[in-house]
Amino acid sequence: MARYIFKRLIGMMIVIFIVLTIAFIIVRLAPGDPAALMLGPEATAEDAAALRQRLGLDRPILVQYLSFVGNALQGDLGESLFFNQPVTQVLAGRAEPTIFLSLFSLLIALVIATPIGIYAAYRRGSLLDQAAITTAMLAASIPSFWTGLMLQRYLATDLGWFPVSGYGGPDTGFLERMRYLLLPSIVLGIVNSALILRFTRASMLDILGEDYIRTARSKGMGERRVVLRHALKNAAIPIITVVGLTFALLVSGAVVTERVFNIPGMGNLVVSAVLRRDYPVIQGALIVVASLYVLINLLTDLLYLVVDKRVKY
Amino acid sequence: MKPRLPKRASLLAAFLAGTALAGPLAAQTTLDVAIIGEADTFDPMMSTKDVVSIVTQHFVETLYTFDSGWNVAPLLATDLPQISDDGLTYTIGIREGVTFHDGSSMDAKDVVASLERWLEVASRGKLVADKVASVEATGDYEVTITLTEAYSPLLSLLAFSNSAAAIYPEEIIGETIDPVIGTGPYKIAEHVPDQYLQLVRFDDYSSRSEEPDGAAGARKQTVDEIRFVPVPDPNTRVEGLLSGQFDFADGLPAESYGRLESSDVADPMLLQPFGWPVFALNHKDGLLADKTIRKALQAALPMDDMLFAAFGDDKFFLTDGPLYPEGWAWRNDAGVELFNQNDQARAAELLKEAGYDGTPLRILTSRQYEFHFKMAEVARMALEAAGFTVQMDVVDWATLGERRNDPALWDIYISHSPFLPEPSLTDMYSETSRLGWSNPEKDKILAQFTSETDPDKRKELYTQLQGQVFEDVGFIKIGAFNALSGLAEGLTGVTETPWPFFWNAEPAE
Repeated sequence: MARYIFKRLIGMMIVIFIVLTIAFIIVRLAPGDPAALMLGPEATAEDAAALRQRLGLDRPILVQYLSFVGNALQGDLGESLFFNQPVTQVLAGRAEPTIFLSLFSLLIALVIATPIGIYAAYRRGSLLDQAAITTAMLAASIPSFWTGLMLQRYLATDLGWFPVSGYGGPDTGFLERMRYLLLPSIVLGIVNSALILRFTRASMLDILGEDYIRTARSKGMGERRVVLRHALKNAAIPIITVVGLTFALLVSGAVVTERVFNIPGMGNLVVSAVLRRDYPVIQGALIVVASLYVLINLLTDLLYLVVDKRVKY
Repeated sequence: MKPRLPKRASLLAAFLAGTALAGPLAAQTTLDVAIIGEADTFDPMMSTKDVVSIVTQHFVETLYTFDSGWNVAPLLATDLPQISDDGLTYTIGIREGVTFHDGSSMDAKDVVASLERWLEVASRGKLVADKVASVEATGDYEVTITLTEAYSPLLSLLAFSNSAAAIYPEEIIGETIDPVIGTGPYKIAEHVPDQYLQLVRFDDYSSRSEEPDGAAGARKQTVDEIRFVPVPDPNTRVEGLLSGQFDFADGLPAESYGRLESSDVADPMLLQPFGWPVFALNHKDGLLADKTIRKALQAALPMDDMLFAAFGDDKFFLTDGPLYPEGWAWRNDAGVELFNQNDQARAAELLKEAGYDGTPLRILTSRQYEFHFKMAEVARMALEAAGFTVQMDVVDWATLGERRNDPALWDIYISHSPFLPEPSLTDMYSETSRLGWSNPEKDKILAQFTSETDPDKRKELYTQLQGQVFEDVGFIKIGAFNALSGLAEGLTGVTETPWPFFWNAEPAE
């Protein structure tokens, strides 16, 4: 077990190193000059050249790369060109809204998707099953920005039930900040519930057709116990996998929803950093996201051990 | 009209919405202002971006500013300068009793150090740097600028909040300035990147005593606190304004006008005209170095159609040829008969005369500003009808910013600008700009225009310069467009300007 985790951690470092290199290359392949952007439309080419020199962007690419890798290995991801702050500090500032937004969204998605998925599988072919499948397809097909805009307009602007956007001001406490995440969480929860619902239903359908379920029923075991204790436990592995991936996607990819609701999270930061050509922030964010993916995959694999004693590493 | 909620639903709403329901106006002394994005810097010398000007003018001040008629007016200076008859010496009195946010007093030494830095690092400062012989403190509260040649736009440059000649304490002057310390009516309390910039009233602010007039005159600290909230998505700015979350929202989409007009929470504020879209032409390299091809381009463009496609409703644009709008001192009709010809047959003749060989005309544009792209699309159709081969290079704004610095990569790039109080504040007339526009007659007029100090003679020279813009096709103004902002119902004292400011602004009771 310890050996397995050690091997996975070594693999994780290799992945991060590869991501680090690819991130460096990709952001520099993209055209666009951060210095010209920072100085504004009336700045001359000479002004931009002077600023590039000050930012160290005029150094040879190889020198920049070696400096980046060397610093990254020591935990220094450089300094944001735009914010004049260490990248780690910029990313840390975005962690709270993104993590809580992801957690709330996942919770909402699970609350919607799991019981409906289980019930739909149990009542396969019923009206509720058909309705669940259709609704899930609809939720997955409608772009999250549209759902976001509609809910924002009607629930926040017109009815005033939620804050419209942002993450509070200087005097906003933690609980109040969480309120700002409710509506975007509902949007993301609805969108992501579709995938979890379909996986739950499909996985439960497989298990409910197994011989041991028939055996349990023939022994006179109650339906609730059959479905929730025997079937669900065995159907859990694919569900956990998709939940883990959904969480990783939420942390790294709530870009549109964060943009619509102006949540100062990771997704919003990455979009802004790309538009501003803030190379160190883009690189840092990619490294963090890659690390999260690897880590969540590892945690998901370890969770298999808990839910299924037959799994051995 | 907002729907009424049952009592239980109202309580739930109060819980869910929290402070958002209480609204900014409940605090009475705080203004929440939604701006289009984060300011790149709080040092206005270092940027020509409008969003930087909008934010920084609240805490950093200049010697001069503009009144509502875009006339230069004193701010940190006691009065307009004494200018020698030859136009070479500007003697500027500095106000006594002005305090910086760090508690130190402003004097001539601070002004000299600030102006020297401005001449060295600011884009607009560099425009005049080679004409400045010296900047000296000629008294504790007097500064003298000596020029090597007369340069009449100097005062406008000193007054502009964009690439501004900001006045800082001498002690903090350096390559970069952090933290920024100014003399403005508000000072920075807290900045959370991409979330908010909190400005609070500066208790030791020394206001001018004249009646407020544009950005000139008294700057009253009518609210205790101003919060600038960067909201990049325009629709989110609209919803925030309509919900009462923001007291003012800048840069709103034209489509939201109707909702704002019918709202009982907010009102539209239409700045008309705001500015002008422009086709910047490459005179250094490529097809448009040939004047006959430039004339063909000018003949082919259908300005009405381009503006309609870009803005959709004539409430938001005006097909107007002169380079300055109605009511401005610089307005004249020289050359405007060449505007909006929409004559593709004439363009085809000119192309034939020029021996055009089908080389693609490269239009460099971006969808960052959707109206740029829409104008380019309509232009492409008209140009193709005239016989041009058109290559649309649609890139993001960052790429456009880089590519336009290389004359080998474009023939036209699309941009826009607010109407600036002094023509020389835009560098498009200058041979040294990216456009590289030069001909002996235009260069001579421009040199006379920038050195002439008599206002009437300057107007006459500008008429000639505008004539050159059309006759030699220096660049192509497409028309004029309006900008939509919105403000909370009952908010007063906000001046209509491309760079809105909120001293003197009073929320509803």
